[in-house]
Amino acid sequence: MTDLSNLGEFEHVVLLAVLHLSDEAYAVAVRDEIESRTGRRVSRGSVYVTLDRLETKGYLKSRLGDPTAVRGGRAKRYYALRPRAVAALQESRRTLLQMWRGADDRLEGAR
Amino acid sequence: MTRLPRSLERVLAWTVPREQREPIAGDLIEEHSLRLRGGGFAARPRAYAGLWWSALQLAGSFAWERLRRDRPLPPIAGESARRSSLWDMLAHDAAFGVRMLRRQPAFAAIAIAVLALGIGANTAMFGFVNAVLWRPLPFPRADRIVSLGEQRPHENRWFGPIAPADFFDWRRDSRSFSAMAASMVPPSGAFNLTGAGEPERVRAIQVTPAFLTVLGIVPALGRDFRPDEETDGRQRVALLSDGLWRRRFGADPAIVGRTVEFDSHTFEVIGVLPARFWWPTRPDAVVPLALTNHDRALRGAHFLEAVARVGDGVSIDQAREELRVLSARLSQDYPAVNSGHAANLRPLRDAFVGDVRQALLVLLGAVAFVLLIACANVATLQLARAAGRHKELSIRRAVGASRLRVVQQLMTESLVIALVGGAAGLLVAAGALALMRGVLPTQFAGLPGISAVGLDGRAVAAAFGFSTITALVFGIVPALASSDAGLAATLTEETRGSTASAAAQRWRAALVVTELALSLVLLSSAALLLVSFQRLINVPLGFQPAQLTTADLRLPGARYDEHARTVAFVDALFARVRVAPGVQHAAATTALPLVGGDSRLDLVIEHRAPSPGAVPMRADARLVSTDYFATLGIPLVRGRFFTEHDTESSAKVAILNAAAVRRYWPGEDPLGRRISLGADDDWRGVVGVVGDTHNEGLDVDAEPAAYLPQRQLFENLGSAFERTMTIVIRSSNDTAANASIIRSALSSVDPQLPTGPVRKMEEVIGDSIAPRRLNLVVVVALTFMALVLTGAGLYGVMSYIVAQRTREIGVRMALGASRRQVLGMMFGQALRVMAAGIGIGVAGALALTRSMSSLLFGVNAGDPLIYVAVSVLLAAVGLAAVAVPASRATRIDPLAALRN
Repeated sequence: MTDLSNLGEFEHVVLLAVLHLSDEAYAVAVRDEIESRTGRRVSRGSVYVTLDRLETKGYLKSRLGDPTAVRGGRAKRYYALRPRAVAALQESRRTLLQMWRGADDRLEGAR
Repeated sequence: MTRLPRSLERVLAWTVPREQREPIAGDLIEEHSLRLRGGGFAARPRAYAGLWWSALQLAGSFAWERLRRDRPLPPIAGESARRSSLWDMLAHDAAFGVRMLRRQPAFAAIAIAVLALGIGANTAMFGFVNAVLWRPLPFPRADRIVSLGEQRPHENRWFGPIAPADFFDWRRDSRSFSAMAASMVPPSGAFNLTGAGEPERVRAIQVTPAFLTVLGIVPALGRDFRPDEETDGRQRVALLSDGLWRRRFGADPAIVGRTVEFDSHTFEVIGVLPARFWWPTRPDAVVPLALTNHDRALRGAHFLEAVARVGDGVSIDQAREELRVLSARLSQDYPAVNSGHAANLRPLRDAFVGDVRQALLVLLGAVAFVLLIACANVATLQLARAAGRHKELSIRRAVGASRLRVVQQLMTESLVIALVGGAAGLLVAAGALALMRGVLPTQFAGLPGISAVGLDGRAVAAAFGFSTITALVFGIVPALASSDAGLAATLTEETRGSTASAAAQRWRAALVVTELALSLVLLSSAALLLVSFQRLINVPLGFQPAQLTTADLRLPGARYDEHARTVAFVDALFARVRVAPGVQHAAATTALPLVGGDSRLDLVIEHRAPSPGAVPMRADARLVSTDYFATLGIPLVRGRFFTEHDTESSAKVAILNAAAVRRYWPGEDPLGRRISLGADDDWRGVVGVVGDTHNEGLDVDAEPAAYLPQRQLFENLGSAFERTMTIVIRSSNDTAANASIIRSALSSVDPQLPTGPVRKMEEVIGDSIAPRRLNLVVVVALTFMALVLTGAGLYGVMSYIVAQRTREIGVRMALGASRRQVLGMMFGQALRVMAAGIGIGVAGALALTRSMSSLLFGVNAGDPLIYVAVSVLLAAVGLAAVAVPASRATRIDPLAALRN
């Protein structure tokens, strides 16, 4: 059983950003990805904290990249989805799609 | 830029987890480079501001995350150690305390017993006072209900019953009240319920229709009274209590509309009161009060109680002021009967509780003193015990325990003792309450909440609270005193011959002084109450109570509606009673001495014009049968008693008591003068003067009274007045025999008459002083406890001092001190402590006993003789407690003391 209920909305969004970025998923890129796709401003701190938390919860794994000069000789930390996160995202998509089926018209009508 | 500013690094180090710092620093540097790129020099401040802003945002997010996430999760290492160690420490201290107590069972037993007594007594008293004084009355918005009374200063009455005409005027003219109702307990307090089974006396109350509206009570079944039911002739309807309805009518839901017989009158049941309905007289039947037109117009006879509900938006003070204005107008309109009279109102609870409140508060204070003494006592025990643990505590300090830590440990031990004592105290309280319920005087039966007195949640919470406070009070002094040990001094000190630190000595003396002072206050209160009681029972009664038996009687108006029938009944009754063996005299009266009641009427003296503005003359009217004075043994002062010849057809006569003559005929002879009571033209010649008796209680001076022969019609106190009487017989038989004589005579004259309780006159007197006796007994018991505790405390301290000074005394004796000198030294030390305690105690008692002045009789709260006597008594107890340890000191063997 996947533990969707363990994921908050923002955690969900961060996981999807990591999915989109595949090999290039590090904090700054994740934040840019979310901002460009959603048009929402996202605080830098919350991205770091959420990445860290998702790693603690076992949804993400991370590795250090090579140090570069432009970063003062510091490495980037790249994130990737663990199978658990993939399963959770699939489950969430299925659940939401099922719930959305036929709901669009009603939502329009309710306006 | 290849590295972050150092201050920024530090901010990140505080907040960001170690493994994240490196990549985050890299990200920040990369971003910073991007901001600078192509911006030239001018872009630098912006870029730096951006860097700082980003870093602070990050730090804030991580800090918040830590705070937020750490709470539900296991706390981070440092915190968890601290938090759990507090509990560990408490549990450890408590367990250690229990072990220490088990190692010293004698100390534990004494301390727990002392505290159990103190806490138990306080819990019981709290349970009692809480039920009576503090628990809400069982009426909605009871704070808006007031009791009304008539104030008659020249009769020394501040809250007396109300004259009917005055009540109806107040009710008609006042605007401050949403409802107002009068009530009256029927003269004998009860109706005879007949029909449908055994006849039964049921307590009853007569009320005007708005009574339940005032109280906010709605009948559980049926309806309330209608306004027209206070009209004479329409009042034959009744509300039954839930208890009577269930007991007598099997909770019949169809009871409404049925009829019942009260005192031979048929009443229609219109409803049943809710089970929670309560009133001090605990009525089983509530019926309308329908006065005759004659009685409604009475302004000189006072017999109504009244309650009212203050209207919304009106303050109690505004209501009082309105009544004051109304009654001032009545005083002007009816100067002959109403001058100086004023309406008064007070909260309903005050009316219910009356004088009992002060007595209860005094008892509550006394019992709190006992707890304080118990605390001081246990504290001295603790101090002595702590002295034995000096080394242990010093070592604890030496190996790093803070003073706070040691105090905490000692306080936890105190808490253990106090909680065990409190638990035992609950048992003591349960016992004390059961005992109290058993000995309550009848006067207390009408107190609110009295039936609910017991150990409820509040009382248990109070016991727990008392225990905790007690632990603080008796624990803090020993804890502070013994944790303050001079560390090095104790560790290097030789054990033998060591004396306790000067501080501990001073604390111990202070505690004993406190105990002595508190005891002295209690002792003075007890002595004042004792002397009051002794003076009270020595007040001359004015009659001979021995061999008198009394029985209350009420003739139903339905069958005794004519004066002649009442006279015939009394004659027939006494014709039978007098011939019974052992009976010497028999008589009837409307008012037995010491029973109270208010039958005062305006007294008019023929040919004496009332001086304008003068206080109206008043006298208590009592109807008595011919043989009354001889039966009670009331002496004749001058003139003659009533005779068989004073009848309806002869000249109307009256006999005055000595108080009336003193007040209204000072230096004159009233014999042959004519008086009228409650009317201008009901003239009666004064034929005799008799000695005084106390009407309302031994502590109330005899007031002017006029005795009228029962055979001569007297209606100025209402037509029911003469039908309510007490039979008194003087005989050498025991009470049981007298009771059967009275009952058989009654049933042969009128078999349908209900029989009231038959009591010895001594019981009537005893009942009149029962509340005072109860006060006295409780205070004396508490004082005895206090004396024992104080004596024990003094004994303990002196024993300890002797033990501590054994070596010093041994040296003194080796150097030639005599036993006498040693004894003098020990007693000297004890006397100094006692003098301080007694001195402070006398000062405290003088200040505090003033608050009990209303409980005293014939004695001044500041009577120096009392204080000398109790000081001597306390000193004697103290010296007795000191004698044993002091004499032990003189038997110290100098050689043994030096060798050890």
